[in-house]
Amino acid sequence: MPKIKYFIQQSWLLIVSSFCFGLLIAASNAALSPQIERNLANKLNKLTIALLPAAKQFIPLDADIEVQIASGKKEKVKIYKALSDTEQCVGWSFNASGKGFSNMKLVVAVDKNFEKLTGFDVLVCNETPGFGDQIKMSYFRSQFAGAPVEELTLVKTGDPTKIDSEIVAITGATISSEAVVNILNTFLDSIKKQMKEKGLLGDGTK
Amino acid sequence: MAQSSELQTGLYRRALLAGLWQQNPTFRLLIGMCPPLAVTTAVKPALTMGVSVIFVLVCSSFVTSLMRNLLKPHLRIIMFTLTIATFVTICDLYLKAYFPRMSELLGAYVPLIIVNCLIIFRAEDCASKSGLIVSILDAIGMGLGFTVALCILAGIRELLATGCIFDLRIMPRGFVPWLAMQMPVGAFVTLGILLGLASALTKKKES
Repeated sequence: MPKIKYFIQQSWLLIVSSFCFGLLIAASNAALSPQIERNLANKLNKLTIALLPAAKQFIPLDADIEVQIASGKKEKVKIYKALSDTEQCVGWSFNASGKGFSNMKLVVAVDKNFEKLTGFDVLVCNETPGFGDQIKMSYFRSQFAGAPVEELTLVKTGDPTKIDSEIVAITGATISSEAVVNILNTFLDSIKKQMKEKGLLGDGTK
Repeated sequence: MAQSSELQTGLYRRALLAGLWQQNPTFRLLIGMCPPLAVTTAVKPALTMGVSVIFVLVCSSFVTSLMRNLLKPHLRIIMFTLTIATFVTICDLYLKAYFPRMSELLGAYVPLIIVNCLIIFRAEDCASKSGLIVSILDAIGMGLGFTVALCILAGIRELLATGCIFDLRIMPRGFVPWLAMQMPVGAFVTLGILLGLASALTKKKES
């Protein structure tokens, strides 16, 4: 009993403050998260349209597609079918996430047959500014536009203007470059397989 | 009575003005040097960082000063960190909600305000030992001094790297941008020159 009394005497301020600060953060989060979500949705729309310029609307696919991520957990992926103004499928887009130095979230777009990447962009990235965050730059991202949907490999030297499955890493940001390649390899392969199994490619693209 | 009021006004003035020059965190104390080197490529992110630091400094000084008599010596660093982390999280959420472009541009440097030693230094040196008004005035002065230093650095770098400030063309048309000013070397060189100037000015004043 005296021990508990001593513990409370010593730490009551810490316990009460932690509780109050926790409440303050929860209240701020509740007040600001709708706006943050709206910002993210707007950004997602903008990025997806830039990756698939022929698309006029995006229809969410009503299919359960899950991808096993690096931690071993399964992540549900929402796939969007991109339709042109004549309602023809012009591609697919989805969000993919993973870890570089910190968590990153990408938006990925592929062509209608799921054979070529039309590109990716960065939705959320907390990589080191000036180094890891160079994955957002077009000189790195342009290597993926037109790359085949197959196992991508990261190389340290090469010609970044050549579009193939070899991706040239950013000097000083190898871990972030590797993270992007790993995320794409994990998501593209798994999603393509599942979409083929569910018959969503081929007939589903018409 | 009048003398005591005068003394108090002098104390408040000193608390407010110290951070602007005499104890300027960047130019005189050389603390919290990560943002001056990292986010000063342009004035807008530097200003955002400065305002964020002012907000966190004022709020954490206010709370620390309020609970200064309750602080146990061995728990004070945990309490400071907890207080600072709370206000940095709120600031980060606010930037994400209403200034998403700036939040993206500043990236990890906003959450990193938690470990900015300027804030913990003011909590330890001033807020945990002084009254509410002195603590808040000190926080405002230190925050303003820090923001002004960031903006001067960012202004010089942005001007020489792009020829513009706040997207306004300042340099003449034929000006060739110094791209190195946007790189880390630009930050180190500019900061070094400014520190030398600040030191020379202080010495001149003292002599």
